[in-house]
This record gives sequence, C-alpha cells and structure tokens, in this order.
Amino acid sequence: MGDVWAWLLFFFIIIGVIVMVVFQLMCLADLEFDYINPYDSASRINKVILPEFITQGVLSLLFLLTGHWIMALLSIPYLYYNFTLYNRREHLIDVTEIFNMLNREKKKRLFKLGYLMLFLFMSLFWLIYSALEDDDHFA
Amino acid sequence: MGTENPNRASYSQRPSTSPFFAAQTASPFSSSTPVAGAEASSFHSYNPIPSSQIPPSSSEASGFRSVQPGRSNDPAGPPPPPSYGPPQTGPFQHLSGPQFSSPVQVPSLRTSAGEWPVVAPPVRPPAGPFSSTPVSFQMRPQPPTIPFGSPPQSMNTVQPGMNVPLSSVDSPFGASSTNLQPSSPPMRAPFPAARGTLQSAFSGYPGQQYNIVPQAPPVNSVAFPPHQGGSVTPPPAVSGPYVGQQGGYVQSPPTTAPVGMYSRDRMQHPASLPPLGTAQGLVEDFSSLSLGSVPGSLDAGIDSKALPRPLDGDVEPKSFAEMYPMNCSSRYLRLSTCAIPNSQSLASRWHLPLGAVVCPLAEAPEREEVPIVNFVTTGIIRCRRCRTYVNPYVTFTDHGRKWRCNLCSLLNDVPGEYYAHLDASGRRIDLDQRPELTKGSVEFIAPAEYMLRPPMPPLYFFLIDVSVCAVRSGMLEVVAQTIKSCLDTLPGFPRTQIGFITFDSTVHFYNIKSSLTQPQMMVVSDLDDIFVPLPDDLLVNLSESRTVVDAFLDSLPSMFQENTNVESAFGPALKAAFMVMSQLGGKLLIFQNTLPSLGAGRLRLRGDDARVYGTEKEYTLRVPEDPFYKQMAADFSKFQIAVNIYAFSDKYTDVATLGTLAKYTGGQVYYYPNFVASIHKDKLRHELGRDLTRETAWEAVMRIRCGRGVRFTSYHGNFMLRSTDLMALPVLDCDKAYAMQLCLEETLLTTDTVYFQVALLYTSSSGERRIRVHNAAAPVVADVGELYRVADIGAVVSLLSRLAFEKSLSYKLEDARTSVQNRIVKALREYRNLHAVQHRLGGRMIYPESLKLLALYGLALCKSTPLRGGYADTQLDERCAAGYTMMALPVKKLLKLLYPNLIRLDEYLLKASFADESENIWKRLPLSAESLDSRGIYIYDDGFRFVLWFGRVLSPDIARSVLGEDYAVDYSRVCLTEQDNEMSRRLMRIIKKYRESDPSYYQPCHLVWQGEQPREGLYLLANLVEDQVGGTNSYADWLLQLHRQVQQNA
Repeated sequence: MGDVWAWLLFFFIIIGVIVMVVFQLMCLADLEFDYINPYDSASRINKVILPEFITQGVLSLLFLLTGHWIMALLSIPYLYYNFTLYNRREHLIDVTEIFNMLNREKKKRLFKLGYLMLFLFMSLFWLIYSALEDDDHFA
Repeated sequence: MGTENPNRASYSQRPSTSPFFAAQTASPFSSSTPVAGAEASSFHSYNPIPSSQIPPSSSEASGFRSVQPGRSNDPAGPPPPPSYGPPQTGPFQHLSGPQFSSPVQVPSLRTSAGEWPVVAPPVRPPAGPFSSTPVSFQMRPQPPTIPFGSPPQSMNTVQPGMNVPLSSVDSPFGASSTNLQPSSPPMRAPFPAARGTLQSAFSGYPGQQYNIVPQAPPVNSVAFPPHQGGSVTPPPAVSGPYVGQQGGYVQSPPTTAPVGMYSRDRMQHPASLPPLGTAQGLVEDFSSLSLGSVPGSLDAGIDSKALPRPLDGDVEPKSFAEMYPMNCSSRYLRLSTCAIPNSQSLASRWHLPLGAVVCPLAEAPEREEVPIVNFVTTGIIRCRRCRTYVNPYVTFTDHGRKWRCNLCSLLNDVPGEYYAHLDASGRRIDLDQRPELTKGSVEFIAPAEYMLRPPMPPLYFFLIDVSVCAVRSGMLEVVAQTIKSCLDTLPGFPRTQIGFITFDSTVHFYNIKSSLTQPQMMVVSDLDDIFVPLPDDLLVNLSESRTVVDAFLDSLPSMFQENTNVESAFGPALKAAFMVMSQLGGKLLIFQNTLPSLGAGRLRLRGDDARVYGTEKEYTLRVPEDPFYKQMAADFSKFQIAVNIYAFSDKYTDVATLGTLAKYTGGQVYYYPNFVASIHKDKLRHELGRDLTRETAWEAVMRIRCGRGVRFTSYHGNFMLRSTDLMALPVLDCDKAYAMQLCLEETLLTTDTVYFQVALLYTSSSGERRIRVHNAAAPVVADVGELYRVADIGAVVSLLSRLAFEKSLSYKLEDARTSVQNRIVKALREYRNLHAVQHRLGGRMIYPESLKLLALYGLALCKSTPLRGGYADTQLDERCAAGYTMMALPVKKLLKLLYPNLIRLDEYLLKASFADESENIWKRLPLSAESLDSRGIYIYDDGFRFVLWFGRVLSPDIARSVLGEDYAVDYSRVCLTEQDNEMSRRLMRIIKKYRESDPSYYQPCHLVWQGEQPREGLYLLANLVEDQVGGTNSYADWLLQLHRQVQQNA
C-alpha cells in the first residue's frame, strides 16, 4: 500500500518540476515574441530555477530512500547536470546575453521536459501497476 | 530612382552586358587579347584542340546575346523601377536568367564582358588558330563567334594568358598596382584583363561597366594584336579610349613576344575551361598569386613586394553605391558582400560572415549632412505591417493613392496630406521636394507618439576615484581641468545636467545646488546599504549652477591632495550613481584608478596568471568575474544610462570586468596604463574632451529591418538587446559602429532585391526626438562567384574581428585565431574550387580581387592586441581594453588599426618646397622591417598613437633640428615640441594634420631610435604585422600556410 502512496507522491513532484520547466519555457517564448522585456523574463526565470533544482534533488533523494533504485539511477544524470551548472554559477539566466542564449536555453529546457515526461509516464505506470498489485493482493 | 534599381538581378549583367554586346555583336574577337606572348608557343597545342568544347560555350553565349542586344542600346539603361516593369524587365530578366542559371560562372562572364569589349571589336575571324582566345570572346559576343568554335583549349590559353602574367610578375597584385609600367608588355596584357575584372568587381557594376563599354571596342583591337601576332592578324588597335580608362593596360598591348614562361604556364593550365565564359570569368574574376611550384617551398617565388597590401587605405566598393544610387552612403552601412545569396545552400558556400556593419551617426562631410524631414501634418509615413519608414525604394501606384512597401510588399494608403500625382513615368511630381523619397539617409522629426517620456536633457555624471593613486598620478587634476574647460561646449545648453560623486573607501556626494556659493560635500560610509542624501540636489542644471560647478572643479584636486586612502568602494559608488541618475538616464563617466576593494562588486587580483594560458580555463580571465557588474550594466541600460570607463591604474584593474559596464550600455572603454599626468595629459584631455563635446544621441534604440526571406540573427558591438532585434543604445555617437549577421529564412529567395532599412530613434542633444533612417538595397544573386566578387573587405574584416574577439571570451586565444584562419581558408577554398578545376592552377593561390586583402587582414587580426600571442605578449588589461574598443570601432578605423600607416618622413622634411603639403603625397609603406631605412625618419600611425622611428644613421642635423639640442638623450623622455626651424615646424604640421584627420582618439607621439630595445620592439617592431615576430607568421609564410590548407581537401 505504501508503494502506491509513494508513487503518487513522486507523480505530483514530477508534475511540479514539469510545471516549473514549462514556465521557464513560456518566459523564453514570450521573450522571443517580444511580449515581455528581457529584464522581466530573466528575473521570472531565475526565480524558479533554484526551486526547480531543489525539487528535483528532493525527488532523487526520495527515490533513493524509498528504494526505487532504478528511478534513482535514472535521475542521476539530471541531478548531476543541475549540480555542475550550479557549481559553475551558470544556472541563472544572464539578462545581458539572454538573446544570444535564447536558442540554447530553450533547447536545454525542451530536453529537460522530455526527460521529465519520461519520468512522468514511468511513475504513472508504476503507480497503476502497484495499485493493481495491491488490489490483487486484497483480492 | 527607378532607374538603377530595377535590375538587381540583372544589375551585374545589365550594365556590363549591354554595353558589351552592342560593341561585340559587331565583331567577334579575333583573339583573346591578353596573352600576347603566349600565343606562339601555346598555339600549337591549342589548335589541336578541337572545337568540341566550343559549342557549349557558344550555346551559352547565344543565350546571352539574344538578350543583350536589346539592352545594348541603352547603356544608360537605368530605369526600370525596382519592381521591374514588365517591359524593362523582359530583357533583364532574360539576361539574368541565363547567367545565373548557367553553371558557368556567371559573374565572370559579366566581368569578362567588361574586358571583352576591349577585345571584341572587329577582328573575329582568325579564330581557327587562335581559337583559344576567340573562344572566350565568343561567349560574349555571341553566336556568331561560335562557329569558329575554337576548342576548349583555346580557353585554356586564354586563361593562362591571364594568369600567366600574374605569375610571371610574381604577384598579380604587383601587377595590378603597377600596371602602369610600360616595360613588360606581355605582363601587362594579362593584367589589363585582370584589372578590368578587378575594377568591375570593385566598383559598381553599372557605372563602371558603362564606361568601359564605349572604350572597349577600340581596346580590344589593341590587345589582340599581340596575341595574334603570331598567328592571326590582329585587328587594328584603337586603344585610345581604352587607355584612358585603364591606363595601365593600354600600353601593354601587344607585345607579341611570347614568352617562354608564359607558354609554359599555359601549358600547365590546360584546357580546362570548356566554357568560354568561365575562362574569361576567370581572368577577370580572380586574382592569383604564384606561391611557387611546390607548395611549401617558401622561396619559390613569393615576391614580397608584390603581395597585396592596403596601401591606399580602405577602398570601399563603389559598385554598391553606383548600382543603387539611392542607397545610403557606405559611411553608414556596409554589407559584407553587396549581394545576397538566393538560397541557403548558396549562403552556406559563403564562408565569411554574411552581414552588415552600421555606423548610424557617422560624421558626414560638409554638404552631405543627412536631410531632416518634418512630417508635421501627416505623421510619419510607415508601412502598416512591417513598420518600415517610407523610403526611396517604395513605389507609388494607383495614381499616387497607394504605395507599396519595398520590404514586405504590402499596399498602403497614402495619407491625404501626403498625396501627390504621379507623372507619366510613375514618379511623384513632388519628388524633388521630398528628400525621404530621393535620399538614402534622412532624419524624421518624431512626433509625440515616439516618446515614452519628454525628451531627456543631455546629462553628464562623473564618478571619480580620489584614492591616493588617482591623486598621485595627476589624473584627478587633469580630469577636473578638462571637465571645466569643456563646460562651455557641452551639447544641449541650456538644458544640460551635471553631477559628481567621488569615492575612495567612502562615497562622497556633492550638493551643487544653484543657490549655494560653495559645493557641499556629504560623505556616506555605510557601504552595505548605500543611500543618496539630498537626492534632488546632486544632479543640477549646468547653466544655473555654473558657478558652483566651477568652484567645485577648481577645488577638487586640492581637496584630496592629502588623501592617503588606498581603498576603492567602487561598487557602492556605482550604485549611488545609478540611484541618482535613474530618473533621467544619461552618460556616466567613470574615472577609475584602483581595483574595487570594498562593498559590492569587490574584485580580486585574479592577475594575469601565466599558468592559465593555454588551458581550458584561459577565457575566464577575459570575462567578467562578478555578476554584479553584468547586473548593474543591465540596470543601467534599462534606465538609459551609458557608462564610459576611463581606467588608469598602473596595476591590474580588471578591465575585463569593468568593461562590461560599457559593453552593455553602449559606452566605451578608455585605458591609460601607467597614467602619468605629465606624459598622458594630452591624450586624456583630448579624449575626454571629445567624449564630452561630440554630438551625441541619447536614449536611442536601433533596429535594422530587411526584406522578406532574410533575417538578422546576431548582433555584435556595445549595446544591449531589448528584444530580438532592437538594440538599446542609451548613448550613441559617431565613433561607434555595430555589426550584425543575417541568415536566410527561406530556402530560396524569390525576390531579386533585398532591402535594408536601419532606423535609429533617438533624442538629440537639443532635445528633439528624431528618427534617422538609412536605406540600402542589394541584389540577390544565384552564383557563388558573384557573391565573392562583390565582397566588401572592410565589412568582412570588421565582422570577423568582432566574432573573433567574442570567441576569445569563451575559448582560448588560439581557438579564436584558428577560427579566423579556418574561415579564410574555407572561403578561399570555395573560391578556388570555382575556378581551379577547370584551370588547373597548380601552385597558384586564387582569390577574388575584392578579397585580395583578406589574408593580410586575417593575419593582422591574429596579431592584433586582443588576439595576439599568449600570456607574455600583452597585458591582460590592455588586451581586454583593446577588445572592447575593437567591438565599437567603425570600419575604416578598424582597418587602420589592423594595418597601420607607415610613412617615411625625412625626404619630405628635407624637401625644399612644401607646396604639396596638403596633397596626399604620403606613400604608405608595407609594414615590415624591410621598409625601414636606417637613414630615415618614419611615422607609424595606427589611429591610436604615433611612433616616430629614427634610423640609426640618420643625419644628426635632422635629428637635432627636429628634436632640439637634447636629441641624443633617452628618447623615452623626449617630448616632441616645435623647434625654431623649418623642419621641425613641418614635422609638427604633419603630425597635427594626421591628428586632425582622425580626431576620435588622440595619438600621442612615441619617439623610438633604431636599435633601442626594448622600446623599439615594443612600440614598433611587434606591430609590423608582415614580419615574423616571436613565433608568429610573416606575411609570406602565412600565405603559404593558407595556401597549403586551401589545397588540402580541396
């Protein structure tokens, strides 16, 4: 039974991370189409970058603690990437160069999004799977 | 206006062809002129070659001709409106069609056409033997010639001729430059051809070609004779006209003498070129440089004197202007190639940067000022969809009730007040009263809807370091004096605002309210939470507070005379200045002498660590260390504040970091290493004075629009982007240029012209909101050769240098240099592949005439201060400062910086008469130690400083009269002052004249005695870009190296 709850929790955390990444993507897209100025765009994006990193870190930790080794392993590359970015102080968007970086930043985030989607489906699968298993159990 | 545009596509052809054809039709060429000498020997071989090839050429030719005939008649040919009226277009298009489409290098054809004319005239007949030459001609001439169908070989011969001369000469260049010399006829012959091409390439198509045309016929004859000399009878030479034009060539005519060498050469270049067109094209189209038979063997024959050099300064391609007379002047906008590729695949074969360099406020000579237009009643006319401003290239239709936007082709209504009838030719009848419809550059007075707030007054704010170093070096005193002396001439009187902050370990504010008699100083020492006391009185109107400001500037140096503070609270002071200025914006001048050590924005002595060089971390030295400065720069830009940095320290001051403030705010970095007032006073005075008093545009934004299918993708220079294509320029003046690169959005461009429009919205110092608009049009071409032929070396180098410097901010210096080299190699290889296959050029280096200096400037770029060497070659600060400067320099100044003037003075000083003083008698010398004669005095001028070099065996009399009695002492201490004798006066006059010709910076004069190390090496020898200095390539080596790389994988 606990497994179901754990997967449910993962599921929502992943959705949270996805929302943050999508938000960043939206800010970048708005910037590209000139709906907002680079100052606002950069500050909005920068506001959610750390939360995104932390949430993702927590997720990885939870995978580990709950013994979902495979998921934990899968999330390590993402974690490592965030970590190096942070270490090099390159995680924040630089407002002065934002237009030059626009394409690369978008690509990065799209890639992250794809990765997260994979996670989402896997967690969904495991959620349903464990729920069914529980059911079987009771039955 | 209509006239010129119409044929962008055809443009090239049009001009050249039409004239030609006319001429040619009549006569086929008898022989290819050029090659006079060759014929004999070569002949035989050629002859054998049968007509097989010919046919093709002819066919092509025929296609062309047909078109042309029509054309030929109207040389003037101008007219069709850009839109291409049906009638006109007909012919043009045809022409263009064929040309472009044809695999053969179209461009060359064109050019050749130019030449041909010369040849063409009458003698067509002999074809048989000559065939080679004739063939080429035929292309042009047309069908008739075909018959004689000389074999392809002939083609070859032709080429060779062309080439040969070059080779024989050693270098094409030499030839071209020297063409005048009568002595070597054979040589010349080829040259002319080459020249012709060159010219055509260079100058606008139409203009030139036209000229040529008339002359051509006669000329041809001349050329031929020699050729045929051997075999056929040459036509009569009517060189007259021709000569006039081409000068050099003319003479050459005919020496028939075939030269063994030539023949050999020709042999080498076998009949590669089947199509005539190509052959000729070749000739005209490219220049070549013989690098010796064996690539790699240096001696083989590089004649260093013959290598291409920009000794005439920057030669702008005129073709652009001539083809589209309504384009703005090249002062304002230069495209890296005056033709736009018509497809992405074509664009990818142009390996150099494709883009533009814009200097929107360039200083215009008298009478060429940008006209000001005031649309009081109608509002500014702009396209509804793309917001393009009305310009000379728009077309009026529907009896003048509508106009079609030239960028997006949308039909717009003409407002009632702006309506004017059209005359029979479709021109507005009020055209001559409408500068916006006739001039490439205009300035509109912007109405209120272009203002977000009332136009700001000019505002100068000074942030001055008063720590002990600043006082001791004398910087403070000079700055105070200079500011004071400029107060009367600050632009924008009486609205000008001014304010001051000084800082050491604390921040000092000055209340200079007009009601005071003495300024009040307020000291804030809470650096962590800086606040502004009396926010309203720190920034005052200069005219009202003039006496207080004067009093302040008088007392400033003495106030801190005894200061022993060595700290610098730069960051907090910067924040304070920001708080004071953020209401209005304006220009912030920072005088910085000590590395920021307190508060936010503290920098550390990261030093110039030799160990980091050559590693992956190397670039980090050149990028800002503390994000504080980037953030501040962004904020400054947001509030319309521009920052100019004056850095003086004798120690490391991290210009890389401080410079970001200038970089993102449209400012400038001035760096005076080891500032000592007694030596650098004049330079600082002049440059600060110019900074304060030059005409300045405030709170500006700039956008460059272009026609459909093309898009500007990246921008390079000192500014910040506010949206994808909007450059925010808090302050802008005539010494700043911006570069941008464009790319094709569509795989295939269907239009035949691409239009550009630079729009700069700014507030003038007088408080008027204005829009300056520069328009340009460029033809779309379908041929790579054409793309290279009309390249603008100045713009290419400007873009290349900016890209290289940017690259050095994220990679190693070595990588940045390699990328420059690679681009050059790729471009040359592409160009070579166009021609080499058919011509078997062997060991010869080929390049388009327009880019003949590419290699040299590339070399100079790699040796320039920002990119040269490694750790030991340049101080890090100097490197960064030079890089920031380079990012803002207009094209001409950049070229001068890369390849400075070296001029011999002593002959001039000794000459009795100086009547020609004002004349341009200055002969620029190649920048190599070989140019220096130890009996002379030379001046080296890179726009930023002069170096006066005294030869070792210079007569003591001269030295004494120039330098005064103490001429023998250490030159580093001698100041050049005017002595009481003619020679010295003359020297000073020269120097003054040089300075006046380039007022953006002050050129301090360094005196160097030959053999005086290390100063000689430092000031002069290291900057002789053609020499091999400390592990760098010499010019000849560099060419060889490029050549070798070009041939690899070619």
